[in-house]
Amino acid sequence: MKKAVLSTILMAVVALTVVAEETIVLDGSTTVGPIAKAFAEYFMAMHSDVNVTVSESGSGNGAKSLINGTCDVANMSRPMKSSEFSAAAEKGIQPVAHVVALDGLPILVHPGNPVSELTLEQVRDIYLGNISNWKQVGGPDKKIVVISRDTNSGTYETFEKMVMAKKKICEKAEYVGSNGAIRQRVQSTPAAIGYAGLGFVDKTVKALKINGVYPSGATVQTGEYPIARPLFMYTNGYPKLGSPVHRFVTIHLSEDGQEIVEEIGFVPVTAY
Amino acid sequence: MRLKTRRLLDRAFSGMGLIAIGVMALALVVILTPIISKGTGAFVFRSTIEHRKVMSDHWGRGNADRVEKAKGQAAAARKPVYDLLSAFESELDTMPRAERKPYKKPLRDLQKALQNLLGPAPGARTPVLIRQQYGATRWDRAKIKLDEVLYTEEWDYSNPEVLGVLVKTPRVEQFCGTKLEPLFAYVEENSKPMMQPRWTFYWQFLFDTSKDSHIFGGIGPEVLGTVYLTLGAMIFAIPMGVIAAIYLCEYAREGRVISFLRICISTLAGVPSIVFGLFGLAFFLNTIHISDSKSVLAGALTLSLLILPTVIRASEEAILAVPRTYKEAALSLGAGRWHTVMTVILPAALPGILTGIVISMGRAAGETAPIIFTAAVSVGRPLLPSQVLSNPTPALPWNIYNLCTEHEAVDEIRHVQFGMVFTLVAVVLLLNVVAIIMRAKISKKLRG
Repeated sequence: MKKAVLSTILMAVVALTVVAEETIVLDGSTTVGPIAKAFAEYFMAMHSDVNVTVSESGSGNGAKSLINGTCDVANMSRPMKSSEFSAAAEKGIQPVAHVVALDGLPILVHPGNPVSELTLEQVRDIYLGNISNWKQVGGPDKKIVVISRDTNSGTYETFEKMVMAKKKICEKAEYVGSNGAIRQRVQSTPAAIGYAGLGFVDKTVKALKINGVYPSGATVQTGEYPIARPLFMYTNGYPKLGSPVHRFVTIHLSEDGQEIVEEIGFVPVTAY
Repeated sequence: MRLKTRRLLDRAFSGMGLIAIGVMALALVVILTPIISKGTGAFVFRSTIEHRKVMSDHWGRGNADRVEKAKGQAAAARKPVYDLLSAFESELDTMPRAERKPYKKPLRDLQKALQNLLGPAPGARTPVLIRQQYGATRWDRAKIKLDEVLYTEEWDYSNPEVLGVLVKTPRVEQFCGTKLEPLFAYVEENSKPMMQPRWTFYWQFLFDTSKDSHIFGGIGPEVLGTVYLTLGAMIFAIPMGVIAAIYLCEYAREGRVISFLRICISTLAGVPSIVFGLFGLAFFLNTIHISDSKSVLAGALTLSLLILPTVIRASEEAILAVPRTYKEAALSLGAGRWHTVMTVILPAALPGILTGIVISMGRAAGETAPIIFTAAVSVGRPLLPSQVLSNPTPALPWNIYNLCTEHEAVDEIRHVQFGMVFTLVAVVLLLNVVAIIMRAKISKKLRG
C-alpha cells in the first residue's frame, strides 16, 4: 500500500517536471473570437508543440489581461484607450497593435421585419428612445425591443462612438454579453433591433442598409458603409521575430490567413 | 369532532407533501428528458459519409477499404449532380449576355447550398477552414441542408401592417427550362446514396479533441479540464476542510472567537460564486501571480475556496454526530486527544465526511462563475498533468455557456452543446451515486 502511494507520488513529480510545451494565451473580444479560434486551429495544426488557448471575455477584459501580464495577445474590437495605455506604461507593458481584419457593424433585425433600410440618425433615435415603435420608420405597429452589447465590449464602444455620437443609450435597452447572444435575441424576438460583428450575420437575422448602403466586405473596405472599424490583436512590444507569438500575429498577412478571415465573414486587411 | 379536524388536517398535509414531491419529480423529468434524449444524440446518431471522412482524415479511424468503398459509392451518386452543373455552365456560355445575367446569383446560391450539403466540389481547391472541407456530417443536419438546396426562403412583406411571413419556393423554379432542371429531382431522390447515412456510436466524442472550434470532433479537452479542476479543488479543500472541522469540534474552546468563526464560515457558504471568481482573479492572478496566465491551478484554488465551507460544515456535522461515549471510552483507556481523533472519531465520522466531500465535488465540477476569470478558455489543447500549473484549460461548464451564446455557428453545433450538458449532468449524478454507495458501504463496515 505504502509502496503504491510512494510510486504514485514519484510519478506525479516526474510528470510535473517534464518540460512544458510553449503556450500562447489569447484573451479579449468576442468579435475577434472566431478569427482567433480559427487562427489557433490553423496554427496548432502546423505547430504541434504549441498550445494556443483563446478566451472570449470582451475587449475591456482583453486589455486588462494584457496590462496585468496574464495574456500574450489581447484581442480587441476597438483601439486601446489612453487610460489603458497609461495603465500599461505604469506596469512596463508596451501595447503594440496588429490590425488583423476589418469589420462593419451591421444593424440587425428579425428577418420578418419589413423594414430594410434606416438612416444613421434613425438608428441613433431608436437607441436614444426617441423612436420607440417600428411604425415610425415604416414598419408594423410594434414596440421596438432595443438590444445592445454590455459596456465592457469593444463593439459597444464602437457603436457608442460612431452611431450614438457619445450620447447615452436609453434606459430600456437590454444589454447582453456577446455577439452570439445579440444574434440569438434578435432571431427570437420579432420586434428587436441589435448590432454585432459582420461575421455573425447569417440567414436567421437581417442586416439593414444604413444610409442606403448594405454592410458587406466591399462596402466596409471602401468606407461606404458608415459603421466600420478595424479589429486588433495587441501584444506587449513587437513579439520577438520568429517566436510563436510573432508567427501567430502575422497569420493574417498570409494568403491562408486572409482566406480564413474572409470565410468567417470579416474583411481581410489586404485586398488583391 | 376535534379528532375529525385533526385527521382532516393530517390528510391535507400529506396531500400537500405528495403534490410537492410530484411537482419536483415532474420538473426533473421535464429538465432531464431533453438533456438525455438530445445529449445521447451526440454519441449515437446517423452519420453521413462526411463524418467518416473527418474520422479517417483526422483520427485515422475506420476500416480504410470500407471508407474508400463508401466514398466511391457516394462520389458515383454525386457525379450526375456535378455533371448537370457543368452542362448548365456550358449552356450559360452559349447564351447571350442579357439572358445569362439573371442566372448568376441563383447559380452561386445553389453552389453554396450544395457545398453545405456535400462539401467542396471534386477538383475544386481545398478550403483552408476545416469546416468548409466537409459537407454535413450528421444525417439530421444533412436533411436541413438538403431542404436548403431544394427550396429558397424569402420573406414576404406585402402587408406592411404585420411582420413578414416566410415563403418557401422550390428552387427549381429559378432554373425552369434549363439543363439544371432535372438536378433537383435527382438530389431529392438520391440523397441517401449521396450521403450514405449509417447509425454510428461515436463514443470517442467523450475523448476526442475538437476540430475547428467544436464543429467536428469531441469534447475531450473539456472533460479533462473539468476532471483536473475538480481534483485540484479537492486536493486543496479536503485537508483544509477536514482539519478545520476537527479543530473547531475537538480542539477549540467554545467562546466568542469560535462562534464568530462559525458565522464567517456560514457567510462564506452564502457568497455568490461570481464573487469567488473575481476574488480568484484579483488575488491569485493579479496580486500573487500564481501563474503567468489563467491556469488550472488558479481555478482549482478558487473552486476550493468555494467548496471549503461546505466541506467544513459537513465534516463538523459528521464529527459531532459521533457518540460521546466513543470518545470517552478512548480517553479512559489512556489515549491522547490526537490519538482519539485519529483512531476513533475520524473513522466513525468518515461516512458523513465523505458524503460532504463527494457532494461538494459535484458542485466544483459544475460551477462556471469561479473559473471564467481564473481558468477557463474557449479553445485549447487537452493538458498534460505537467501543464496544469501554468496553462488554462477548456472546461465543461464554461464551454456549455460559450457554445450556446458566443459561438459563431450556434445552430450547427446543437448536438455538441447537448452532448456537453449530458456529460456534465452524468458526471455530477455519477458522483452523487458514488457518494451514496460509499456511505452505505462504510457505515456497514463500521457497524461490524
